[in-house]
Amino acid sequence: MSVFVNKETKVLVQGITGTQASFHVKRSLDYGTNVVAGVTPGKGGTEHLGIPVFDTIKEAIKETGANASVMFVPAKQVVVAVKEGVEAGLDLMVCIADNVPVKDMLEVKAILKQSKTRLIGPNTPGIITPGEARLGIFPENIHTVGRIGIVSRSSTLTYEAVLETKRANAGQSTVIGLGDDMIIGMDFVDAIAAFHEDDQTDAIVMVGQMGGLFEEEGAAYYRHLKHKKPIIGIVAGNTMLDDHKMGYVGDLMTYGDITVQDKVNTMKDAGIIVVDNINDIHKELLKIIA
Amino acid sequence: MNIHEYQAKAIISQYGIKIPKGKIAYTPLEAKRAASEVSSRGPWVLKAQIQSGARPKGYFLEKNAGRGSGIRYMTSRRAIMKGAEEMLGATLVTPQTSSKGRVVTRVYVEAFHKIKKIFYTGLAIDRLEAEITLLLANLGNKSITEIAAEEPEKILRLKLDLHKGISPKQVKEAATFLELKDRYRSRLKKYVQGLFQAFKDTDALMLEVNPAGIDRYGEIVALDSKLTIDDKALFRQPQMKPLFDAYEIEERELRASKNGFQYCSFDGSIGCIVNGDGIALAAMDLIRARGEDTACFLNVKGGVDRDKIAAGIKLIMTNPRVEGILINVLGGFLRCNLVADGIVAAASEVGLNVPLVVRFEGTNKDEAKRILQNSHLPVIIAEDMQDSVDKLLQAMEESD
Repeated sequence: MSVFVNKETKVLVQGITGTQASFHVKRSLDYGTNVVAGVTPGKGGTEHLGIPVFDTIKEAIKETGANASVMFVPAKQVVVAVKEGVEAGLDLMVCIADNVPVKDMLEVKAILKQSKTRLIGPNTPGIITPGEARLGIFPENIHTVGRIGIVSRSSTLTYEAVLETKRANAGQSTVIGLGDDMIIGMDFVDAIAAFHEDDQTDAIVMVGQMGGLFEEEGAAYYRHLKHKKPIIGIVAGNTMLDDHKMGYVGDLMTYGDITVQDKVNTMKDAGIIVVDNINDIHKELLKIIA
Repeated sequence: MNIHEYQAKAIISQYGIKIPKGKIAYTPLEAKRAASEVSSRGPWVLKAQIQSGARPKGYFLEKNAGRGSGIRYMTSRRAIMKGAEEMLGATLVTPQTSSKGRVVTRVYVEAFHKIKKIFYTGLAIDRLEAEITLLLANLGNKSITEIAAEEPEKILRLKLDLHKGISPKQVKEAATFLELKDRYRSRLKKYVQGLFQAFKDTDALMLEVNPAGIDRYGEIVALDSKLTIDDKALFRQPQMKPLFDAYEIEERELRASKNGFQYCSFDGSIGCIVNGDGIALAAMDLIRARGEDTACFLNVKGGVDRDKIAAGIKLIMTNPRVEGILINVLGGFLRCNLVADGIVAAASEVGLNVPLVVRFEGTNKDEAKRILQNSHLPVIIAEDMQDSVDKLLQAMEESD
C-alpha cells in the first residue's frame, strides 16, 4: 500500500522546463515514477523529457488524470502555484522551493484549510515510496523497499535515517520530508496517522528538530492511538545554546519556554523510543524487527 | 533581519502609533543638539542602539563607559553629551546578547514621556497554527521573557484574522485582560490594527512594543520597539535594505550570507560544513557528545554554484579557531561533486593545514570521492556521521 504516493499516483510537474526540474524529473522518470504531465505557462502543447506540457494544471488534469504535483516553482510563485493546484483539485502537492516568505506561507495555509489538498513542504526533499514513486529530490540510490515509514522535519537527516534503516537490514515503505521551514504544510500528525493506516508499514522513524511545537503535537496524537506501531524518534539540536539564532523568539512568546529536552520528554512520555544519536536508530530498529 | 529601535519606531509611527519625540546621534555633540531639538527641557532618555533587548539590564565592558546601563535618564544637556561619549564605541552586554556584547555605534535621544501604566505588546507567528498572534501582558517587575518562561498564563494570546486583524470581541477581551477602562477600547483597537498592518506590510516575523505606556492624555505610546523582518521576504522590502547594519553581524557570517549560505560561530575548535540545519545540529550534538566543541559551521544549503561553495569553504579554512574540518554532505538537491570541487579549489588557494574529514552520501557521491582522491589532498573519507566525527578527532589528536 504505502502512504500518499505509489506507482498508481499520476504526477504532474509544475515548472517542468527549468534546469533543476529537468535534472530531477529525469531521475524520477528513470526511477519509474508515473510522471504524466508538465505545467509551464506559455509552453502548453510542447513536450519536455517526453512528457506533454500544459499551460495550466486544470488542462493537465483533464488530459492525463494527474492527481499529485511536484512544484519546481520559484519561492515567489508558491502562493499562486498552490492556489492553482488547490482549485484544480489535486490530492497532493510537494513544494521543493527554499526561501518561501513566511507571510506567503500564512496565505498558503489559509488556502489549504478550506480544501482537501495536502501540501508537503516547502523546503523539503519531497516524498518517496521506494521502487514506486519519487516526488522530489531524494537521492534515490540510497532507498530500498521495506516496511519502515520515515517522517522528518530535516531534509538532510531524512537521508541519515534512511541509511539507518539500511544498517538494520530494513527498507522503507514511504519516506516523507516535512521540510524545516517556520511554517510547513503536512505535519507529524498527518504522517503518523497515515503510517498507522498503512498495512505495509510496521514501524516509524520520526526525526524532529529544535523549535516549533510540531513534535509535541505529533506525540500528543500518538499518545491517544489505541493500536500503536513503534516509533523511534530523535530531536536534533540538543547541544544548541539558548541564545542561538536558529531559534525563533516568537515560539517562546506564543507557547512559553520549550527546550529540546522538553520535546524529548514529551515524546518519551507518549511512548516514543527516543535516541540521542542519529546513528543509534538502527540499533533500536534491530530490536523491533527481531 | 533585525533593525534598530529608532528605525522600528519610525516605521510604526507611520501607522499611527504614537512615539516619544526622538533623534538619532552618532557623536556626543550630535546627542546634545538632539536633546535640544526633541525637547526644550529635560528630562531626556539616552538609549544605546544595539539590536538586542534587555538594555536597561545591560552593562558596558569598558570601565570608562560608566556604571550605567544601556538606557539612561538624563536631566541636563551636558549629562547627555557625557553619557553619549561614554556609550559610543563601547560594548554593551545584556541578558540577550552573548558575553562578547555589541558595540554601540549610535545613540537615540528621546524626550522623557511620563506614563501611568505600562504593558507589553507583541505580534508573532504561531508556527503550529500558521497564524499571526497578538500577545499582551501587564508588566510588573518581571521582564516579558521571564513571564513567558515562568508564568505563561499571564500573557494573553489572540489569533488575529490574517486579512482583518483584531475583531471587536477580541478588543474587548484584550482591554479586560489589560484592566483598561472601556473608554480606552477604541484607542486599543486603533493601536493594535496599526501594529498589525505594519507587521504585514514589512513582512515581519516579530514586532514588539515593550513596553507600551498610557500617557497623561490617555493615549497609548510605544516606549520601545523591536522589529524582525523575514530574510526570505527582503526581495520585496527594498526600503529595508539601507537599514541593514553590518556592525551587528560577524564578518564571516556576512560573507557567507552574500552567497546565500548560513555561517554561525561558537567557541570550539572544529569547523563543520554541512548542507542543512538538521545535519548541522546532529553533527554538533555528536561533537559535543565526544567532549569537543564546534568552532563554526557553514550551511551551504542546496547550493549549486561551485565558486560560491569554494568561497564558503575558504571561510572555514581561514578561521584561526579551526583545528579540524568536518564535512558532512547528504546530497539531494545539492550535488556532492560540487562540494568536492569547492574543497579542491579552496585548498589550492588557501592551503589545507588541518585534518579534514569528508563524508558524502547521496547525489553524485562517487564522483565526489573520485575528485578528492585525484586531487591528492590529505583528505580522510568517512562512512557515516559518527565515523566522520571519530576519524576527525583521531586525526586531530595525531596531528597535535
